[in-house]
Amino acid sequence: MADKLSSKAASVDRESKIVDPTRGVPEPKYEWRGLTNEWDVRVIPGPHGLRLGDVNVGSYGEVPDYWEDQTRRPRGSVGRPGIPPLPYSLRSKHELWADCSADLYEEAIQRRWIPATEVPWDSLQTLPDDVEKAVCQMCTELSQCANTELEIITYWQDRMSYGYFEVKQYLATATFDCARQLEALRKRALSNGGGLGIESRGRVNRIILESSGGWTEAVVYLYLLRGTYITRLLTGLLSAAHNEAEAFIYSHMLEDHARHLTYGYDHLKYASTHKDDASLIMQTLLAVGEAHMAAELKEGVVGSAMAIIFGGGIKGARTFGMERYLLLVRDFITDYLTICRELGIDREKTLHPVFKKYLEG
Amino acid sequence: MVFPSEEWFQQVREVYNSDRDLHSGGGGACDTTAGFSVGENRYFIEFSGLDCAQVRQCSEEDLEVTDFVLEMPLETWQAMLEDVQKNGKASSNLTLNSIDLELEEGIAFSPVDDQYRQDLFYRYNQNFQDFFDASSRVETTFESQGN
Repeated sequence: MADKLSSKAASVDRESKIVDPTRGVPEPKYEWRGLTNEWDVRVIPGPHGLRLGDVNVGSYGEVPDYWEDQTRRPRGSVGRPGIPPLPYSLRSKHELWADCSADLYEEAIQRRWIPATEVPWDSLQTLPDDVEKAVCQMCTELSQCANTELEIITYWQDRMSYGYFEVKQYLATATFDCARQLEALRKRALSNGGGLGIESRGRVNRIILESSGGWTEAVVYLYLLRGTYITRLLTGLLSAAHNEAEAFIYSHMLEDHARHLTYGYDHLKYASTHKDDASLIMQTLLAVGEAHMAAELKEGVVGSAMAIIFGGGIKGARTFGMERYLLLVRDFITDYLTICRELGIDREKTLHPVFKKYLEG
Repeated sequence: MVFPSEEWFQQVREVYNSDRDLHSGGGGACDTTAGFSVGENRYFIEFSGLDCAQVRQCSEEDLEVTDFVLEMPLETWQAMLEDVQKNGKASSNLTLNSIDLELEEGIAFSPVDDQYRQDLFYRYNQNFQDFFDASSRVETTFESQGN
């Protein structure tokens, strides 16, 4: 009897499940539907695909001078009342903006390279001991520079408002570029019978990392001052590359680095044209920065390492190599002054004496 | 093909666009315009996305709208391209980058004195090098040889 009842109940249960498959399922809520600031947006991909800047249309493309919101609300979405604020301290556009950010983001993710498999490592050949040591020392120095860049970007990125997501996304690619540079330089140093050299005193690295007055201050030191110098170092290393592997690494680092400088210079241009005393602040910062940079140029080991690379060894370093390095520094200071001038920063009159000396040859 | 001539540049463009293996510059998009100043001749080049979109002979005025211009003595152009013909690509001392460093004033300048646009030479350095390296597949003679 009990079996019969049980069997009947099971049959009813199976039947009811068929009749009402949603039984026990919570009722979905749809009140979020229709909550939008702008609907029916249909951006059509251009000849280069659908790029980040292409979808900056209508209200989604409005980038305010000040971003009130302290949440992760994506720009253009509907804000939700009651979300606790996050510690985004950079909320003014002039503190981080560069018009080129969206384009640079696209460029960075397209122009990627893979050190593990794309660098022709089999082209490495044994170099004279002094030259190998110099190359490895440069790998050590540039690794520290890349590491500093990575750390200072991530420090400030955390404080940047989501209203300026293009900048945050672009800077994410810049940190990845830095990580890739660290990887490639380390691999070069450890793959040809050498090894890493001596750690830099890091005077300029420290002023970059300790720039607490804002992201713009960090950009002044990181890109305008030291970054401009690194461009010249990379072009020098590329011209003196000993094999295809080095040429590949330096040429790709140069392109990555040039992208970083484009953001840096563009941001400084934006800051100097949208904040009253920005150029004057930059001028003050650079007076301090030049002193540290001058000390590093004089005391550091980069000069002798580059001279050995240019001169093909210690013997050539004493003549041709050092001469060529000094020309490189002169070119760096010329570039630096040109960019300062374009940014409305007067550095020529009060240029650091050591810089002047390099400039005069 | 005679260098410099519009036909020569067109031929190089075809080679460059036809074989992605020639693109070592990260394999990504390159969007820029540049000018080449070769002796008395001027050329306008445009890279768009993955391709060289156009290259043509132009006037001095046309160069003003470019991001940057590459200018070097005719004999340096010839030395670079002869080296490319001989080795399949530029030797390290005859790349655009090396020549830029060797010459007192460099080879890249902005026609409107805009450092920002001039820096595109560094950002897209490998695309331009790849373009000229592609000329290794174009049989080249030089105007100075009387051809």
